[in-house]
Amino acid sequence: MKPSRGERIYSIAVYIVLSIAGLLCLLPLVHIASLSISSMQAVASGHVTIYPVGLSFDAYKQLFEGTPIMKSFMNSIWITVFGVLFSMVFTILAAYPLTRSYFFGRRTYTFGIVFTMLFGGGLIPTYLTIRSLELINTYWALWLPGLVSVFNLLVLRTFIENIPNEVDEASRIDGCGEWRYLLQIVLPLSTPVLATLGLFYGVGYWNSFFNVLMFINDSGKFNLAVLVQQLIQSQMLLSQMNASGSSEQIVLSPEMVNAAAIIVMVLPMMAVYPFLQKHFVKGVMIGAVKG
Amino acid sequence: MMFVPIILFFIIFKYVPMFGAIIAFKKYNFADGILHSPWVGLDNFKLLFSTPTTLQIIRNTLVISLLSIFVSFPFPIMLAIMLNEVRRMWFKRIVQTLVYLPHFFSWIIVSGIVVTVFSQQNGLISGIWESVTGHTYPFLYREGSWLAIFVGSGIWKEAGFSAIIYLAALSSIDPTLYEAASMDGASRWKQIWHVTLPGLRITIVLMLILAMGRVMEVGFDQVYMLQNSTVSNISEVISTYIYKIGLMGSQFSLTAAMGLFESMVSLILVLIANAIARRYGNGLW
Repeated sequence: MKPSRGERIYSIAVYIVLSIAGLLCLLPLVHIASLSISSMQAVASGHVTIYPVGLSFDAYKQLFEGTPIMKSFMNSIWITVFGVLFSMVFTILAAYPLTRSYFFGRRTYTFGIVFTMLFGGGLIPTYLTIRSLELINTYWALWLPGLVSVFNLLVLRTFIENIPNEVDEASRIDGCGEWRYLLQIVLPLSTPVLATLGLFYGVGYWNSFFNVLMFINDSGKFNLAVLVQQLIQSQMLLSQMNASGSSEQIVLSPEMVNAAAIIVMVLPMMAVYPFLQKHFVKGVMIGAVKG
Repeated sequence: MMFVPIILFFIIFKYVPMFGAIIAFKKYNFADGILHSPWVGLDNFKLLFSTPTTLQIIRNTLVISLLSIFVSFPFPIMLAIMLNEVRRMWFKRIVQTLVYLPHFFSWIIVSGIVVTVFSQQNGLISGIWESVTGHTYPFLYREGSWLAIFVGSGIWKEAGFSAIIYLAALSSIDPTLYEAASMDGASRWKQIWHVTLPGLRITIVLMLILAMGRVMEVGFDQVYMLQNSTVSNISEVISTYIYKIGLMGSQFSLTAAMGLFESMVSLILVLIANAIARRYGNGLW
């Protein structure tokens, strides 16, 4: 059947709108990247749009020499690597028993866990708990409260539940114990969903901001997010001062340093994103089917 | 056996704080701690609902989140429907890759981009605005445009990723329905209206229920990063207030009361939304 005129216009419109949506997501980032490697004069005169003008890496030089960004970069990596490790181990340990039909009281436990998703004590009591455990200013304050995300737990549980029971029975007959079944059968079968959860946890830890702000006071332990936030906040102050008229000449445009900092924070994520993208769509769908 | 640490985790980090919320009914002081501080009944709540500042903050929270929820709600649906119409797989994949990407940026990055692009001196948008209208406009320092930027940045960050769930629902619609509809002479618009949207109904209801649970919480990072003193009249919300007054100002009891109020309202809203949905046969549980 030949598509009618209306249908052709319709599908062309769909392609155009989607292209615009895709570009809208990409262009701001390209703009920031261009800002960070353009020359100061070009940025100050507003000539930089989506490609760099007058190539210069001064912003990065200033960023790495003038701010403790290397230190906070390493802190972010530290927080993320160990955070993901702990979270994955405990999410697996939580999800697996909840799928075993012979696990006593699993409905009660499931309810108790899901309830924490709907209702929580709130920020202040959580803070007081962490403080009374003397975890303030240690990274344990970041790792422990977010150890198991209920959403991720439910995603993994649903996935494991869908592994056919026959697999379990067969391995039992072959003399496979509980731990061995989990480690050698369940986990290898769950690789796609584990990759997804790892990505979610990793992004969460990498981007963690509020918890660091709340629980870490020592500026030597700040992560990238807090450092970048401080840079941006100081830029807002500067532009507010300028807007109100009491302007002093700024030597190197702070936008450029911030742009460079944003790029430094985005790059590691962009590096792993393509590898994990095909997995997470699957992971989200599993979670969506049975939340 | 392996479940013991999990139980401990949920008790220590979820249920102990829940219990700790009783300081909302106490006058907390450092010397006595949570357990031994004196009870004050509902005094903190009375204070909460009689002070203009706190009332305004609760109102701000509601305005900002309802606005965000309802303005941004249709975007992922439209995106998913359009992506579903695309037949060229390479194009679909590229668009998906791009629109999912912002979800993985933290609010620090998104607001960094927003502040840069809308900066009054040499931001990109301000530059375009100036060349069209001839004068600059302080986008981030006017309440109306600040709200628009706030909601818009939320859509930019999350619309693509939220579309995944609708895409999943769309893939489960029986293709023969479309064939039948097109045999009967239904146009593409008619097909979307009579086949696609009804197929998405359950997912839409589900997402609305979940959104209801978030009405009282406006994400801290987003507000904290985008707000400035000029627009604090509308931008101060519960989470930022609890942080500033509660943690920084050590007003633990008052802000714990606020937090408890927030949690209670969220819980009730979810239950109500679910009850309504269940009446129409689409409940979450």
